[in-house]
Amino acid sequence: MKDIANLVGMYMKTTAKSWFQYRVDTVLKSLAVFLRESTEIIVIYFTLLKFKELNGWDIYEMLFLYSLIFLTYGIMIIFFTGLRDFGSTVRSGSFDRFLLRPRGELFQIIFVNSDWFAAVGHGSLGVVLFLVSAGRVGISWTPALALYYIFSIAGGVLIQGAVFLFLASLNFFLLETGSLKELLYYNMRRFAGYPISIFHRFIQFLMIYVMPFAFVNYFPAQYFLRKSDINAFPEIFMHITPAVGAVMYLFAYLFWRYSLRFYKSSGN
Amino acid sequence: MKKRNPLSPYFAYAKKCFLNRSAYRFDHLMNILSTCLQIFIFWEIYRALYGNKTQVDGITITMLTTNFVLSAGLGAVFCPDDYFLPGKIWDGSISTELLRPISFKGRMIAENAGNALFNLIFRFAPICIIAAVFIGLCPPAGLLHALCFLVSAFLGWGVLWAISFAVQMTAFWLINIWSILTIKNVFVRVLSGSMIPLWFMPDWMHKIIAFTPFSSIYFTPVQIYLGQLSFEEIALRCTIQLVWIIFIYAIGDILWKKGQKKLVVQGG
Amino acid sequence: MSFIEVSKVSKTFRVSKRQAGVTGMIANLFVPKYEKRKAVKDVSFSINEGEMVGFIGPNGAGKSTTIKMLSGILYPDSGEIKVDGYIPYKQRKSYVSRIGVVFGQKSQLQWDLPVIDSFELLKAIYRVPDKVYRNNLERFTEMLDMNAFINQPVRQLSLGQRMRADIAAALIHSPEIVFFDEPTIGVDVVGKERIRNFIRELNRQDNVTMIFTTHDMQDIEKTCDRLIIIDEGSKVYDGSLQGIRKKYSTLRQLDVEFADDVEIQPINDVKIVNMEQNKKRFVFESREVRINELMNTLLNKYNVKDISISEPEIESIIRKIYNRD
Repeated sequence: MKDIANLVGMYMKTTAKSWFQYRVDTVLKSLAVFLRESTEIIVIYFTLLKFKELNGWDIYEMLFLYSLIFLTYGIMIIFFTGLRDFGSTVRSGSFDRFLLRPRGELFQIIFVNSDWFAAVGHGSLGVVLFLVSAGRVGISWTPALALYYIFSIAGGVLIQGAVFLFLASLNFFLLETGSLKELLYYNMRRFAGYPISIFHRFIQFLMIYVMPFAFVNYFPAQYFLRKSDINAFPEIFMHITPAVGAVMYLFAYLFWRYSLRFYKSSGN
Repeated sequence: MKKRNPLSPYFAYAKKCFLNRSAYRFDHLMNILSTCLQIFIFWEIYRALYGNKTQVDGITITMLTTNFVLSAGLGAVFCPDDYFLPGKIWDGSISTELLRPISFKGRMIAENAGNALFNLIFRFAPICIIAAVFIGLCPPAGLLHALCFLVSAFLGWGVLWAISFAVQMTAFWLINIWSILTIKNVFVRVLSGSMIPLWFMPDWMHKIIAFTPFSSIYFTPVQIYLGQLSFEEIALRCTIQLVWIIFIYAIGDILWKKGQKKLVVQGG
Repeated sequence: MSFIEVSKVSKTFRVSKRQAGVTGMIANLFVPKYEKRKAVKDVSFSINEGEMVGFIGPNGAGKSTTIKMLSGILYPDSGEIKVDGYIPYKQRKSYVSRIGVVFGQKSQLQWDLPVIDSFELLKAIYRVPDKVYRNNLERFTEMLDMNAFINQPVRQLSLGQRMRADIAAALIHSPEIVFFDEPTIGVDVVGKERIRNFIRELNRQDNVTMIFTTHDMQDIEKTCDRLIIIDEGSKVYDGSLQGIRKKYSTLRQLDVEFADDVEIQPINDVKIVNMEQNKKRFVFESREVRINELMNTLLNKYNVKDISISEPEIESIIRKIYNRD
């Protein structure tokens, strides 16, 4: 344990030192991430400024919906930057080096390049959105609700972590997976900011069964807000986010273990 | 002595980029799918926002879709390589690159042009066809408007390229400029109208946007395509595009010259 | 049972075939073609503790793939690899703490940070005890003459300096086996010599087993006792450096300097190469042409100023083995 803590400390120190070789960029990093992620919020803000409401959701309810995405993503990305960038790690041959070191592959991927500043950018956006919206959407907080909220966040973190882990595993089979991630993850996330009830059945199916963003924000948010459009979905969906997360992560992990032996190494 | 065409090395670079792109086949198909999905979801959101209305402020849904498809399509064509110079500064290869007997800037343009041509044929065209078949697009306002659209779109590429060029030059001083590039891209995405139609921006935003080059990138060509501008206005807007290109390029060029001097002083 | 045992190992890759030209590219976009390429075919060899073995072969012969299987990065498709009782790709974590790997083309140092920071990080990764670390660091700094740049960011080092630092980094945990993949690539002559000396020294002092791949025959001649040649995935030679001369070198060459610029009439089974001024080189197989007959012919027919017999360089012998010359 002490050994692990020591090594994690060393990794963090090394990463931080590298960053501070480029002070301007590092200082700007959180701001850049904050702005980049706000793009979607700005779009929603201007759109609702013009149209007032979307299928019965007003601006604060929309922001509450969105805040769940950023909080979960912010927590997830503290650990999973390495998996997000795993494609380039494989292509550049750096994964060879991980395999040559007497430490777990996942452990190294997670801790070698943790992106704390980006996580601050994401997380703080989530917190800001939560603070702005939570008081204005008529939630009366009780300990039980708070517990539900915490479990939902944990579930949301696991769901997205599982997706990242799964997509990273695909790098052992495919030359380039960046745009698959763009398609399945970032694209869907952009639209998870809207209540899924406005979408075509097919998109709803994707958001629930393929890339289950609906469990990250829509269903947990509906547990608090109870907008009428929830009636189109089974009641149970509002309660299973943590379970969905746990199961998905387990499967993703098993797939990762299985895929590892197909690693081809590059440079030949 | 056979006289060599002085432009031939640049054509070679452009061709190399064009051909390289075909290696990432899977990635490419995902990209198209990704853009189509974005367009589809965008269309869904606006259908929900419009409800029973056929138009808002004189803008129909088909016009909105056309704006979005053309912006996304042109965005897919342009995509300048923001890391062309920063990458070479970071890994130190810039000093050898500058010794080659060809213009570095010329090569930057050539490689981007090769990419753009590939994207025009294999991304822009399929995206427009798919969108036209499944969702429906406005036809160009007239033959002359279509021609002006092409000219203006070309100039839009120039504006976007010049912005990227100028921003990349800061890498001479900061080396790592991920944050600055990210912030640049936020401005491009929000203020160019590719994510939220500029028609629906509040008036105070229009005043801000008027002082920036961003609406010259996609929105000007789109407005020409839809026939929203008279021919005098078209001439004016294209001139504005040209002025932006020259102005931004000039700034970039000054930085380029100073940056090279700095490189020489430091000895790479 | 030897220290390293490789028996009948094969590895196949699926590579996408690129078709030429723009039409080929379009075809490629829609109907990709793949082909199976056997990178390593049924390769077997064994290596004893403390040996220094050179692995050579043309580009794409399967050297790197073999090294990567030996170091546990790749799974072989078939066959067995055992190193001191370990199966590298199965017992990866416990195995790799006993080996060190230097990739000449790919640094493991932290690009933006001073060299010493990379060493400190490796110390933590490999759980190197303080005392061992200090000893190694001191020793390598001296042997590789790293004092001048150990506190400089890697980004600012010359290729030779970086390579020395990389070698030290691969050895900081006192590995028992070290793999060098092109350790002198791009390094200048003095730098190469320093690296070779260090490697020899280390092998002698610590009895470290070393396996090389290189394109530079000088590397092999100056460091290794034994040579394994791989071509198109198969082992074609395994033995001493001297043995290779005996076995393959039936080629002889005769360098002759003539008094004036003469036209030499063709001679059966002899290749005539023009050299500088009036010198010519006669290359032939020793079993086809008798050297004294050839010399007689030349001395009788032409005005010869000087004559000398030489053995071809090891490099040309090896090129002949590859069948590429």
